[in-house]
Order: sequence, then C-alpha cells, then structure tokens
Amino acid sequence: MNQTVTLAHGAGGRQTSELIDQVFKTHFSNPDLTADDAAVLPAPTGPIAMTTDGFIVSPAFFPGGNIGKLSVCGTVNDLACMGAKPLYLSCAFVIEEGFPMEQLEQIAASMAATASEVGVRIVSGDTKVAGKGQVDGVFITTTGIGQLTDGVRTSGAFAKPGDRVIVTGDIGRHGCTILLAREDFGIETDVTSDCAPLWQAVRSILDVTTDVHVIRDATRGGVGTVLYEIAAQSQVGIRLDANAIPVADSVRGVCGMLGLEPLYLACEGRLVIVTPTEQTDSVLNALRRIPASREATVIGEITADHPGYVTLTTAIGAQTILPAPGGELLPRIC
Amino acid sequence: MCVGLPARIVTMNQGMALVDAGGARREVSAQLLDDLEPGDYVMVHAGIAIAKITEENSDETDRMMEDLF
Amino acid sequence: MGTKKPCAQEIISSYDGPRLRIMETCGTHTHEIFRLGIRTILPPNLELISGPGCPVCVTPVSFIDEAVMLALEYGTTICTFGDLVRVPGTRYSLAAARAQGANIRIVYAPLDAVSYAKKHPHESVVFLSVGFETTTPASCLSVRLAAAEELTNFSLLTANKTMPGAYRALKDSADIFLYPGHVHAITGTALCEEMVKEGVSGVIAGFTADEILTALAVAIVRHWEGRPFFVNCYPRVVRPEGNPKAVALMDTMMDRCDSEWRGLGCIADSGMRLKDEFAAFDARRRFHLPPVTGHANPACRCGDILQGKCRPCDCTLFGKTCTPEHPIGACMVSNEGACSAWFQYSV
Repeated sequence: MNQTVTLAHGAGGRQTSELIDQVFKTHFSNPDLTADDAAVLPAPTGPIAMTTDGFIVSPAFFPGGNIGKLSVCGTVNDLACMGAKPLYLSCAFVIEEGFPMEQLEQIAASMAATASEVGVRIVSGDTKVAGKGQVDGVFITTTGIGQLTDGVRTSGAFAKPGDRVIVTGDIGRHGCTILLAREDFGIETDVTSDCAPLWQAVRSILDVTTDVHVIRDATRGGVGTVLYEIAAQSQVGIRLDANAIPVADSVRGVCGMLGLEPLYLACEGRLVIVTPTEQTDSVLNALRRIPASREATVIGEITADHPGYVTLTTAIGAQTILPAPGGELLPRIC
Repeated sequence: MCVGLPARIVTMNQGMALVDAGGARREVSAQLLDDLEPGDYVMVHAGIAIAKITEENSDETDRMMEDLF
Repeated sequence: MGTKKPCAQEIISSYDGPRLRIMETCGTHTHEIFRLGIRTILPPNLELISGPGCPVCVTPVSFIDEAVMLALEYGTTICTFGDLVRVPGTRYSLAAARAQGANIRIVYAPLDAVSYAKKHPHESVVFLSVGFETTTPASCLSVRLAAAEELTNFSLLTANKTMPGAYRALKDSADIFLYPGHVHAITGTALCEEMVKEGVSGVIAGFTADEILTALAVAIVRHWEGRPFFVNCYPRVVRPEGNPKAVALMDTMMDRCDSEWRGLGCIADSGMRLKDEFAAFDARRRFHLPPVTGHANPACRCGDILQGKCRPCDCTLFGKTCTPEHPIGACMVSNEGACSAWFQYSV
C-alpha cells in the first residue's frame, strides 16, 4: 500500500476499497459496520438524541490526542450532555492528497480506541480525497445517535437562581495545547489536551440523580462562553468565585506570557454542570469517582440579579463582570 | 501598557535565558541585564528580561504599608 | 502589636476627602483595575481616569493603513503583536487584510520576527514596532540581531512612543499619576522626581492586586499631606537608575521624533524612529512608503476621554456604533482602552 493518500484513494475504485479495508475496516470492525450503502440498526426504545460535528483541528496531532480521538469525543460528549447514552457514530473523512498513510492509521486507531472506551459503535463512514491545498491534512465529520436516559431533561435554559455551577476539572488545557502547537511562540510546557469522552462522567451523575438542570461541554470558546450561553438562555446571572476556578499552573503561566484569559481557552474534556443546591454534594461525589472528572469542583452559583451576565468575585472580594466572549484569541503584550 | 511576567531563570546560555513561569518555559534575551544567574527572578516583557526582581511582592507591599504610618 | 493599621483596601474605600482624580497611564493597570473590580470599591469622590497608556489605543489610524499597504500592495509578511490585529484602519484592519490574502503572523517577541525572517529568506518581513519605553528595547535588539546576521529581509514599521511628553500634556487632567511600573523599570525614577518639582504628584505601581491597592493607598495618604510627592511603590522591579543598558541601546539606535497620538494629536519629541545608519531596517525608508493620512471618525471623543474630560458613556458613539467588535475610536480598539473596559465591565 502507498505511503501517502493519493487522489486515486478517493476515486471509488480498487484503491478506495484498499484504503477502506486496510485502514478503516481493520480498526472500526463491528457487526453493524457492513459494506452496504447504509447501516441497518435496531431502534432503541424511547426518544433518541442525534448530533453532528465537524473537526478541522490543526495540527492533527497534539499532546494528549489527535483529530481522531477529538472527533469521537466531541460527538459523544454532545450526546452525553443531553443525558443520552451514545450508541452509534458515523464518520466522514476529507483527506488532503499526500497525507501520510501511517498518520491516517493512527487517527483511525485512536477513534476505535475511544469509541470502544465509551461503548459506541462506528457504523457508517465515508472517505473523500481532496487535492493538495484544498484541505489542511484531514477533516473529519462525525454524527452520533444516543438513547435518552428516562426522566432526564437538561438544557441551557433550565438554570435557576440558587443552583450551583460545577466544572469537572482544570480549564483551558486543550486551547492552550493547540495554541502552542499551532503558533511559533517558542513556549514549552508539559500541558496536554484534556480531550476525553465524558459519557461515563454523565452516567455517574444520572445514576445518583436525574435532577440536573444543565450539562454542557465547554469546547470552543471555553467555560466562559458556555456560561454566557447559559446565562442568556436561562435569563439568569452567573456569579463565579475567581479563586475557585481550577487552572493548571502551566496553563496560567502560558496565559501570563500571552495575556490570555483561561476562561476563554477551549476545553475538550470538561463539563459545566448546573445542579440544584441540594444535589450538589452527591453530584460532586459521583463525578470524583470517575477519572475524567476526578477534580470536579464548584466554581459559582446562579443568581437572579445581572441576568445575561457572568460576574466574578475577584481576589480582592469585589464584584466584576467577566468580559463577554470576543472573537479570535489574540496574544497581547499591552 | 506592558504585560510583564515574573519568571525564574533556569539556565543561561550566550545572552539568552531559559525562564520558567509555573511550568511554562521559554528562551528570552538576557542581554539587557548584568550578572544574572540561574535561580534569579526576572520581569519578562516581549521576549526580553527587563529587570531583576529583588523581593517578594507581598513583603514589599507590607513594608510600603508599614512605612506609611 | 499595637492598634491594627488600616489595610490598603480600607484606606481606599474609606476616602472621604475632596474630589481626587488619579490617572493610570498604563493599559495593563486599566485592565487589572477593571478585572479586579477595584472601581467598585471606590468612594464617590475618588476617581480613576484611564489615561493614554495603551500603545495600541494611541497608535494612529495611518499606522494601520501603512501596515495594510505593506502587506497587500508590497507583498511583505507582517509580524505583529496580537494586540494590533483587530485595530481598524481607514479601510481594513490587519485581520481584514489577512482575509484578503495578506500574510499576517502573530509573534510573542520582536526577536521571534527576526527568527522568522531568517527561516523564510524569500519573504520580506516587517515587524510592527509599537510600544513605549518598555517595549522599544526589544525592537532595538531585533534590529541589532538582524544587522549582525546581515539579514536583508527584515525591517520595522515604527510607531514607538515615549511617556514624558504625555505626562506633561496631561498633568492638569489629574491630581495624581499612577505611573506605569514597567516603563520606569527601563527609564528609572528621575523623571517622576522632576515632575514633583513641576508640582505633579505620582506613584509607580506594580501590577498585582496587592501592588495596585498599595500604590493607591500610598497616593491617598501622601495626598493628605498637601505637598507634591513621588513614591516608588514597586522597588522590587523599578530601580532609581532603571535599566541603563536598555536606555543606552535605545539611545544608540533610535532618534526622537514628533509623534501623533490617536485621540491626543501630535506631541513634540514623543516618538522614536531608527537612526539613519539603520535606515535599511526602517520599512518606511526601505520601501519608500508614500505619506499616509488616516481618517478618524469626527464624532469620536477619545481625545477628551484620554484626558479625563469626559467619560466613555458621555460619547454619542459609545456602545451604539462603537463597540469592541466594531471599534471606531482609539479607546475601544484595545482590550485595555478606557471605552473597551467600560463596555466590557458594565451591565
């Protein structure tokens, strides 16, 4: 087999079959994945959740993961946030001509490993090859179907004054990792992406209570952006304790060098959870038994005042507003 | 106007210092300061060490407040 | 221990004297003061005015126009601090120019722009050299390195500025200056002492919560004494002599020039440009850039805001046509600008 992906691999002929057989089938093999045009699947009882997400992360490989792992985590986590057990995934690859075959294998292997960790099956796929320069390495789109847990309804619109806000670990690691991998800032750290599937963490909560108001994964835009979305959807204020927000020292160091706010750095393995006060302890205890959410902690509460805003109790005990999310993250010197 | 980052010097090499701030490391120019050694703390701005830091922040502010009355 | 002495925060929040205006002349101070919520603990008679301390805010529209011209018409690679990317020019910001195909690269340090030029010998690299005395030495070092390595594809587009002219232009706008710690880490304290002789009071402040609160408390207490004063509240970083090597480097490589401050107009001798012997590293001279006149919105009141003559909310554009996403005036363009901070931190 060739060392790199060529346009012939996407032409639908013998080489396409070879690519699918040797890379994708080898890794994704399961009884629901067939050579037919569509997967035929048993329908779960009750309502299902369905979601789709495109992944274009550059570089495709980064400390703590790669685009394959990310593409499974992203979709699985979106399902999990609705309280849905991930059942099936489809994946569509757009690969740049000349992409190393070995890297494609590693990506497929990561997807398979992550899917099996979650217990979700990859049941359908597609491969296209685009000419050199038309895409950056490889893009992956995954679609997922999950089965809703009985009695669970979560939404960004359900936060109520008095509720507690939990984050399931230290924030900003994925964004920090990608920024350093992508840009030539000459900064070295031991920071790795937090990229992780979170269904196990969500299930641990639902095992102890279905009375959870909001579960969101803080991806692009980070925890700050998610909190602003919740504040707007629920028309509530969110008050954070600046001292309680967990940030790894090295992420803080990078943010110090580049003048960035950790609350706006992307995460790929962190949930923001809003629970009624009386459920907070049991939710925290459940989360802390799961490796991906071992460091879960309360960072603030929902308030009736300042609807639509996220406020912070600062280091000097004063109240201030978290500036609303801006656009592109730009390192600053002044 | 000028974001400065206090950082500890890890190694010195030909006018450049490898500095560490909470585990984030980067080479910065040490050409504008004399007698720097590994272990010293410096204020870093835009890739250069602009000043040696001589005291803990909290000690200094405590003393400032003491001196005030 | 005797009776407990009041802490800095108590001194600030219990101030009940006559109206007292303290002007911070450093964008990082403005930013930290908002971020820490220090304004929320101020009593009504104590005002913090955000002066012209952000190099991005005071960089004129024409500078962005020149950079965009160098990128789009001259095909150069622009290396810049991230701060400048969203600042609007007359027609394009650098972000908009990038969408038009311009090669815009964000760097952490001027020296990184030299490394980039070295690695990309077929690109002509222009570093956007903005900043005050703190940042200018880094630009000088980059030119010195490029000259030593005989690079012919590296130059600076300079808009470097110095603070003394601004202090003097603004001395009637405030009762006390909160001087920028990192500028004086380079220039030392002599100027601040001189300002006292001219009747201008000030304190040099650091940037942590403790340091800012302490400097404000010291300023308030010393103000009670009624005489002009200066206190260096940041001696762990700011020495009386500053950083002599950095000052000498600037003196060797840069000449003083008149400089336009967005919102304030031209201040004599407040700018820095490369000396003639380094003309090959000066993008304006190297590319023979034509003179550029930028156009600012006439309704914009940034000049008055920088001088403490009005507040951001007094400007008719503020929060309506002028927002952080679509900034019109100088004070909205940078995160550190007074208008941007007001907008982002008010409900």
